[in-house]
Amino acid sequence: MTALSETRAQPGRAAIVIPRRRPRIKGSSIAIFVFLTMVSLFVAIPLYVVIVTSFKPIGEITLGQIFNLPVQWTVQPWMKAWNEMCTGLACDGIKQGFFNSVAILFPSLVLSIAIASVTGYALALWNVRWADGFLFVLFICAFVPFQIIMIPLIIVVASLGIFGTVWAIALVHAVLSMPLLTLIFRNFYKDIPRELINAAIMDSGSFWKIFWEIVLPMSGNIMVVVLILMITTVWNDYLVGLTFGGISTKPMTVILANSVITSRGEAIYNVNMAAALLTAVPPLVVYFALGRFFVQGITSGAIKG
Amino acid sequence: MMFNPRITAWAAAAALTASVGAAHATDLTLFHTWSNESEMKALNTIIDKYQADTGNKIQAASVPHETAGESPLVSLFVAGTPPNLFIAADASFFKDLDAKGQAFDVKPLFDKIGVTQALPATVLQAITIDGKVLKIPTAVHLDGMVYFNEEVAKKAGVDPTKWTSLDDMWADQKKVEDAGFTFIAIGGNSFQAGYTFHALLAAIAGPAIYNRFYADTPDKTVFDDPAVRQTIETFRKIAAQADPGWVNRSWNDTTNTVIAGKALMQIHGDWMKGQWRANDKKAGVDFGCMNIPGTKAVSVTVDSFGLLGGVDEKTAKAEEDFAAVVVDPKINAEFAFYKGSSPVRLDVPTDKLDACNTLVLDDLKKPDFSVENPFYIADGDWINSVWNTMFTLQGDPNMSTDDGIKMLKSEYDAIFK
Repeated sequence: MTALSETRAQPGRAAIVIPRRRPRIKGSSIAIFVFLTMVSLFVAIPLYVVIVTSFKPIGEITLGQIFNLPVQWTVQPWMKAWNEMCTGLACDGIKQGFFNSVAILFPSLVLSIAIASVTGYALALWNVRWADGFLFVLFICAFVPFQIIMIPLIIVVASLGIFGTVWAIALVHAVLSMPLLTLIFRNFYKDIPRELINAAIMDSGSFWKIFWEIVLPMSGNIMVVVLILMITTVWNDYLVGLTFGGISTKPMTVILANSVITSRGEAIYNVNMAAALLTAVPPLVVYFALGRFFVQGITSGAIKG
Repeated sequence: MMFNPRITAWAAAAALTASVGAAHATDLTLFHTWSNESEMKALNTIIDKYQADTGNKIQAASVPHETAGESPLVSLFVAGTPPNLFIAADASFFKDLDAKGQAFDVKPLFDKIGVTQALPATVLQAITIDGKVLKIPTAVHLDGMVYFNEEVAKKAGVDPTKWTSLDDMWADQKKVEDAGFTFIAIGGNSFQAGYTFHALLAAIAGPAIYNRFYADTPDKTVFDDPAVRQTIETFRKIAAQADPGWVNRSWNDTTNTVIAGKALMQIHGDWMKGQWRANDKKAGVDFGCMNIPGTKAVSVTVDSFGLLGGVDEKTAKAEEDFAAVVVDPKINAEFAFYKGSSPVRLDVPTDKLDACNTLVLDDLKKPDFSVENPFYIADGDWINSVWNTMFTLQGDPNMSTDDGIKMLKSEYDAIFK
């Protein structure tokens, strides 16, 4: 029997060879394939231009042939972006912003995940008074644009005495991410069997003990989902860093934009493209490293109603 | 235990000097929008001199150029941590500061150190708001100049420096196109369209009509002036030179088409020079610069710092010292050299200036030959409307000059009625 036919023997008759139908590609599959190809190209073509431009000398860029591969490959723009890009009064490269972004990232992650996970846990597994009302308010807050509350937030943060510091940016990120993260944690913890929590309570488990010893160890998948979401959000953030960073705490995105967005200055495209790629690398690395767990986290009930 | 009197005296003197030094040092904060290498070199010319002269230190932060209407700067003021020195252009921003007692009038200082007399009238107007000098001028740019590729001109057999009128310029168009070049490089955004228009208005219509067109409340009768009509017609003729790649093209990319030898020239602000210099091209060798042929007036942009007012005496003195360094003739010339701009004073040393700087200074010396950038004198909504109108005209070849005038009148009614 070959792959394309099968032989059936019937009593008293010679064996009949029935040709197997060649598997047909459905129209819907073709449509999906074409759509996905178009979407991929939509991202891949500009990305290709960014990458090849970052390896071209400025003379080749001036010719305007953006799709051509570099005639003379150079890593000079990458070195210049990392070591010589200017901000403030110094031209020490975009690496200054990298270290600022790292300094902003960790407290933002700890603060936002700590607050949201405990809130989600309380709302999902404990009888909190007015929990539904609180959830509703959180849900509404998720739709309030940051720009609307920016100036009042500046006043609040300044009154706390932390404006212009890493903590100001971390606090604002924690506040802004709280609605979404709390809803994610709450939905995830809601699927933990009630009996398990009841048993833990009967075993003299307190609110915090149950959280630390039972709930948190079960939160691996959801933590990865939230980590990836927050790392991407905080690292790619521009407006919060720009507004709350004051004089001395500007993240990498602000330094990148400072060099790229120019009304009357010259545009050094190869250095700009290299700086843009350097800024985009950290979240990409995290996503590639943890992407598998991200999918697991989503499928295990994190993002659902 | 005995102390060596000499050592004791030295130690006491050192301690006293350190404490006096610490007591006298006043650190300032600076918020600016510069980031390019040329801009930073220029800025550090001022900072180095100031820090060396005064012993004070400056802490600086830079944010993207003109982000969201100076909102990062506003956020610092709202948070109660305003910088001592900052870059801002919008006159209304300074008016707000003045109303809150946070603006710094440097007129007495400028009068005292002889700066006022050394500034061209247009620069002085640009930094004066409601009779007070609230800005410290750093650099001058002309909003509309012609920068041309010397090699392309040679190949096409034309000499743009010989053009004395726009008619002369158009007369050479065919020659350039026959040689295989685009006559005028055109970009594709409202910034370029808006700047080209107001530079043409100054050049063709002159200061009187320009100042009727760009004002807090423009004179509506100005739209029917033949000079405005002629300006719009010239604008349309220039826009018609666009090659197929003009859509969404930034001014830098437009300049690149001239640098690459695809087009003869570009009519835009003289900050084009930065793009030429970034490509290692030299004025007078690789590129030439000139006023719009037959120009009656040039529109001037003045980059400037603001100083924080309402501060204590010591800080005020430190800020004044900074202002004095900015407008020092030698420092100002060096600043212009690195930044690619022109100096704000007419009495600066000329050893570092190129032919384009010299031309700008000559323009500024002429009486009634310069006007202020619209952002210093006109309503913001009106400027945006003019930009949109011109960009619409540029993108729609079916629109006539009459349609353009009609659209301006309609925008005027929407804003001022």
